[in-house]
Amino acid sequence: MADLSSDSYQVIVVGAGHAGVEACLSSARLGVKTLLITTNLDRIAYMSCNPSIGGLAKGHMVREIDILGGEMGLAADETCIQYKRLNSSKGPAVRGTRVQSDKDKYSAFMTEKVLNQKNLSVIQGEVKRLVLEGSACRGVVLQDGSIIHSNTVVITTGTFMNGVMHIGLEQSPGGRVGDQATVGLSDQLRDFGFTVQRLKTGTPARLLNSSIDWSKTVPQYGDTEFFPFSLRTETFPKLKQIACFLSRTTEQTHDIIRKNLDKSPMFCGVIEGVGPRYCPSIEDKITRFADKESHQTFLEPEGLDSDLIYLQGISTSLPADVQYEFLRTIPGLENVKIVRPGYAVEYDFVEPTQIYHRLETRTISNLFLAGQINGTSGYEEAAAQGFVAGINAAHKVLNRDEFILDRDQAYIGVLIDDLVTKGTKEPYRMFTSRAEHRLVLREDNTLDRLFDISLNLKLSGSALEEKMIKLKDERQNLLSYLRSERIFPNEQTQNKILEMKSAPLLKPATYEEFLRRPEINYTDFVKKFEIPAVADPQIFEPVEIEIKYSGYIKRQLEIIDQQKRLERMNIPESTNYSDIKGLSSEERDKLSRVKPRTLGQAQRISGVNPSAIQSLMIFLKGRKKLKDLPSDNSEDRSSHGQSVETR
Amino acid sequence: MKSNLVEREQQVICAISTPPGYGGISVIRVSGADSEQVVRKIAPFLPQEVKSHSVYYGFIQSTELNPSTVKSIDEVLVLYFEEGRSFTGEKVFEIHGHGNPVLSDQILQELVKSGARIADRGEFTYRAFLNQRIDLVQAESVLDLIQSQSSSSSQMALRQLQGELSKEIEHIENAITRLLAHLEASIDFSTENLEIISQKQTLDQLQHIQKLLAQRVSEYQKGKLIREGLVVSLAGRPNVGKSSLLNMMVEQNKAIVTAIPGTTRDLIESTTVYNGQKIVFVDTAGVRTDSVDIVEKIGIEKSMESHKSADYVFFIFDLSTGITPQDEEILSGLKPENLYLLGNKSDLVSEADLESTQKLLQQSNFFKRNQLDSHWISSRLAFISTLDKKCREKLFDMIMELAFSTQKEDRAILTHARHFEKLSEALSKIESVQKMVVAKLGAEFLSQELKDSLICVQEVLGKHYDDQIVDKIFKEFCLGK
Repeated sequence: MADLSSDSYQVIVVGAGHAGVEACLSSARLGVKTLLITTNLDRIAYMSCNPSIGGLAKGHMVREIDILGGEMGLAADETCIQYKRLNSSKGPAVRGTRVQSDKDKYSAFMTEKVLNQKNLSVIQGEVKRLVLEGSACRGVVLQDGSIIHSNTVVITTGTFMNGVMHIGLEQSPGGRVGDQATVGLSDQLRDFGFTVQRLKTGTPARLLNSSIDWSKTVPQYGDTEFFPFSLRTETFPKLKQIACFLSRTTEQTHDIIRKNLDKSPMFCGVIEGVGPRYCPSIEDKITRFADKESHQTFLEPEGLDSDLIYLQGISTSLPADVQYEFLRTIPGLENVKIVRPGYAVEYDFVEPTQIYHRLETRTISNLFLAGQINGTSGYEEAAAQGFVAGINAAHKVLNRDEFILDRDQAYIGVLIDDLVTKGTKEPYRMFTSRAEHRLVLREDNTLDRLFDISLNLKLSGSALEEKMIKLKDERQNLLSYLRSERIFPNEQTQNKILEMKSAPLLKPATYEEFLRRPEINYTDFVKKFEIPAVADPQIFEPVEIEIKYSGYIKRQLEIIDQQKRLERMNIPESTNYSDIKGLSSEERDKLSRVKPRTLGQAQRISGVNPSAIQSLMIFLKGRKKLKDLPSDNSEDRSSHGQSVETR
Repeated sequence: MKSNLVEREQQVICAISTPPGYGGISVIRVSGADSEQVVRKIAPFLPQEVKSHSVYYGFIQSTELNPSTVKSIDEVLVLYFEEGRSFTGEKVFEIHGHGNPVLSDQILQELVKSGARIADRGEFTYRAFLNQRIDLVQAESVLDLIQSQSSSSSQMALRQLQGELSKEIEHIENAITRLLAHLEASIDFSTENLEIISQKQTLDQLQHIQKLLAQRVSEYQKGKLIREGLVVSLAGRPNVGKSSLLNMMVEQNKAIVTAIPGTTRDLIESTTVYNGQKIVFVDTAGVRTDSVDIVEKIGIEKSMESHKSADYVFFIFDLSTGITPQDEEILSGLKPENLYLLGNKSDLVSEADLESTQKLLQQSNFFKRNQLDSHWISSRLAFISTLDKKCREKLFDMIMELAFSTQKEDRAILTHARHFEKLSEALSKIESVQKMVVAKLGAEFLSQELKDSLICVQEVLGKHYDDQIVDKIFKEFCLGK
C-alpha cells in the first residue's frame, strides 16, 4: 500500500511550528517515513509571541504530551529561565506549571531534535497545493511545481494561510514579521467545500533592553521550588533564573491611545477576523473597560542573551509612531526604543467541526489539520493537536486504530472534542473551566491517568517507560503503606496531634484516615511522627491529594461513569437528521455538520437542546426496537419531562 | 396495536379537547402533517385552499362507500392552523361541534375511519414539545392544564405558561452564573490582577441565592395545594356533628347523618370548590376507643392516617357536653401544627359556657403536653353551629385565609414535583457551598458544587449547561496578557 519510491513519504507534515514539530516527531518515532516541510528552517518551533510555555490548563497539556512521549515539556524544561507554579495556594486540581523559556534556545533545542530524528527528513519550501485523487490526499505540490507523494499529510500552517499583518492602517502579507504568507492552500480547501474563515491575533512591541529604565519597574521573581514538566528531565533548572518586571499604563497612555483610535485597523473595520477575548489589544481594553485607570504590563526578557523585551499585556496594532508615543508614558519606558512594533495578524482557519476527533478532515481523506488552522491559539494547544495528528497520520499508514483521548482522560481530549463538537468563533484557548472533570484531570496525576494509554501507544521510549513504571509503583507502594500503618492514641501521639492543631484521636486510625483531616498535610505529618516515608513530592503529592479529596474525586468519577452511558450510545455517521422529528432546523443543521459520534457528543453541541437529545434518543431507540408510546399520562410526562436514562 | 414510535409520530391524531359530558360546544382537535386529507373526507364544505387561522362553517358528513347513504352528523365550525403556527407545531384542525357526547363520538369515529387515530393522553402536548412550540416548563404546565379541575388551578397553569415562573428561576440562574464566573476567573486568570469578589461577598451572594431558592421551594407547597386541592380532615368522637358539618360544607347529603355512634366507618371524601379553590373534606370514623368491632377498628386506623396527611385537621367537639375524656384521648393523637378546634352546637349553650370551655381546654393534657398558650387557643378555636347557614361562609373564609395568607396571589408558583425536587437539590448544594467556603476549600471544589446547583436550576428551565460561564467571565473582567 505504501508508495516508497525515492520522492515519496508516508507522512508529510507542512509547517514546523509547535504543532508541526510534535506531529513529525511522533510520526517518525512510530517508524513511519516522514517529511517536514517548512518555509523557514531558521524558525523551527519558534515562539512567535510570548516567551512562556505552560500556565493554567496549558501546563496540564504539556505534561500530558510528555507522558505520552512528546517533546514540548522537555524543551521547556531545558530552556527555562523562570519557573512558576500557578495557583499553588489554591486547590490541587488547578495548579499549573508555567516556565518562561529562552526563545532562541527553545527553537535550537527543537531544531536539533528534528534534524537528528530517525525516519524524518526536513526541507525548506512552500506548499502551494495538495495532490488530490478524488477526495483523497496523496501528497503536496511545492512552490516550484515539484510534487511530493505521501500516504497522509498533516497541515500545521499556523497564522500563515493567507496571513495579513496590520500595523496601523498599513497592511502587508505574511504570517509573522520576516516570514511569507502561505497562499493558495486555503483557496484549494475552500474550493473543495471547506468552510474557511478569518481569525485575528496580535502581538505587542519588542523593546530594546538597554533603552529601559529598570529602576522604575518592580522585579517579579519566579519560584524557588521546582517541578519540571518532563519526567525525563534530570536536572532542573539548567539555566540561570531571571526576573520579569512589572509596570503599568498611565492616564496619559490611555489618552494617547483614545486619541488615535481612528488609526487602529481594529476600530476602523479594516480587520474582519475575530480576535481572542482573553487576549484583547490595549486599544480594546481601554475602550471596553473605560473606567479602569491603569493596566499592568510585564516586561519579559526573551532570553538570557537576548536584547529583546516582550511587553506582556500591551498587544496593539496602532501605527509605529503612536506606539512610540504611548509606550513612552509607561514608567521605565520614557526613552524606550522599539525593535519591532506590535502588530495584528489576520489569517485563515478551517472551521474545526469539519474534522474528526483523529484530526483528519471529513471531506478529504488522508488530510490532517492541527494547530491554529483549526482555530486555536497558544503553543500548547498547537503542540497537543500536532502530537495527536502526527500519531493518527502514522496510524493510518500503519493500519492501526485511531488515537483519541477522552474528555475524562486528558485536557488534550477536552481540547479536541471541544473543537470538533462546538467549533470556535475566536482563537480557542484552553481553560481549566472547559474541563468538566477538572478534579480528576490534574497535573500531579498525569502519569496515573495516561499510564496505560502511553504504554499502548509506544512512543515514550524505554527510558521514559521505565521511569513511569517505577514512579507508578512508588506511588502505589506509598498508598498501601499509608493504608496499612496506624496511629494509636496514647499520650505521646495525642500530644503530637495537638501540636499539629488537630483534634485528639478517639480510636486507632490508619495514616490514610488521619491524612483525610483537612488541617493535616503529608510533609508535616511524616516529619512530626518521624515516619520513614518518601519525601519526594512527585511521589506523595498525587497520593496525598487523592486521599484528602477522595469524597469529591469519587463523586466526579461517578459522574464520569454516568456520562459514559451517553458516550456509549453511538450515532451512525449515516444518520439523516431530517428524518428525526423534534429537531429545530438550527439543530438539524448543526448535527448534520458536526456528525457527532455519540449521544454524549451531540449533547455538547451548543444550540442543541436537551429536547433534541431526547428526540435523538427516541430516534435511536426507535431504530433498535419497536417501542410503544407511553399511553398513560404519568409515563407520557416522564418521556419528555425527565431525561430518559438507559440503565 | 401500536406501531413503532417514529411511525406513530407521523400519524394524524385526534381527540375531544373539551371536558367530557354535555356542554355548550365540544372541540375536536386533529393534528398531523396529513390532517388536511383526513378532515377533508368528512368536511366536504372546506374550500380548495384553506387559510390558516380561518373559520369554515358547514356540516360534518359520514364517510360511506355508497354516496347515497352519506348523512350529515353535526353542524360545525372548522378552524385551520397551518404548520408552525399551531399549538402542536403541525397542521391542526379544530372542529367545533355541539356539546353532545354522542355526536362528538360519531365525529371521532369518522375521523378514525378517514385515517386518524385517537391521541394518547398528553400527546398533543408531547408533539408541541417535540416541535419546540413549548419548553419543558410549559409542556408540564399544559399537562397540568389538562388535568386541572378548578379555576384557580388553571389560572396558575396559565401564569406559568406565560413564563413568569421561568423568569423568576432565570433570575436565580443568573445569580449563580455570575458567582461561578467569579470563581472560575479566580482560577483561570489568577495571574491577571483581577478584582475578584471577596470571601465575604461570596458568602453574601450565596445567601441571596439560597433565599431565592428557599422561597421557590416553600411556594411549591402552595402550588401543590392549588393543584391537588386543600385537604381538610375532620376529627372528633362520634355524634359531635362531623357529618352534619361535612354536609353543610359540600351542600349535599354525602355522609349519612344519624344519631347512632359509629355510623361513619369508612373515610368519606367530599370535594367542593370555593372561590376557585378545590377543597377536599375527609370525614373520618368517629373514634371510639372502646370499640371491639374489627371493622370499626380499621376505620379508626384509617382516620388517624388521614389526619396525618391532611393540610388541616378540624377537631370537632360538642359544646353542650364540654371536653370529655374521650375528646382528650382523640386530641392526644393529633398534632397542634395544623389543628383547629371547632366547638359545635353553639346554639345550645350560653356565653358563659363558651368561656368555661376555653378554660377547660387550656387545662387539658393536650395543652400542657404541647406547651400551648392562650394565644394559640384564641387563634385556633371557633364556635360553630351546623344549623346556622352563615357558618359555612365563615369556615370557608377561614380555610382560604389559612392557605393563602402567607402568599400574594399573583406570584407564579412551582407546581411540579420534579421542579420541587430539582430546586430543593439546588438549594441543598448552595448550602453545602456555603459550608465549603467557610471550611476554606479550593475554588475548584466550590465551583463543582455550584455548577451542580446551576445544572439543577437549568433543568427546571429545560436548559442545557453550556459555555455561559466563559462568556460571563469575558463580560465581567478585563483580561489579557
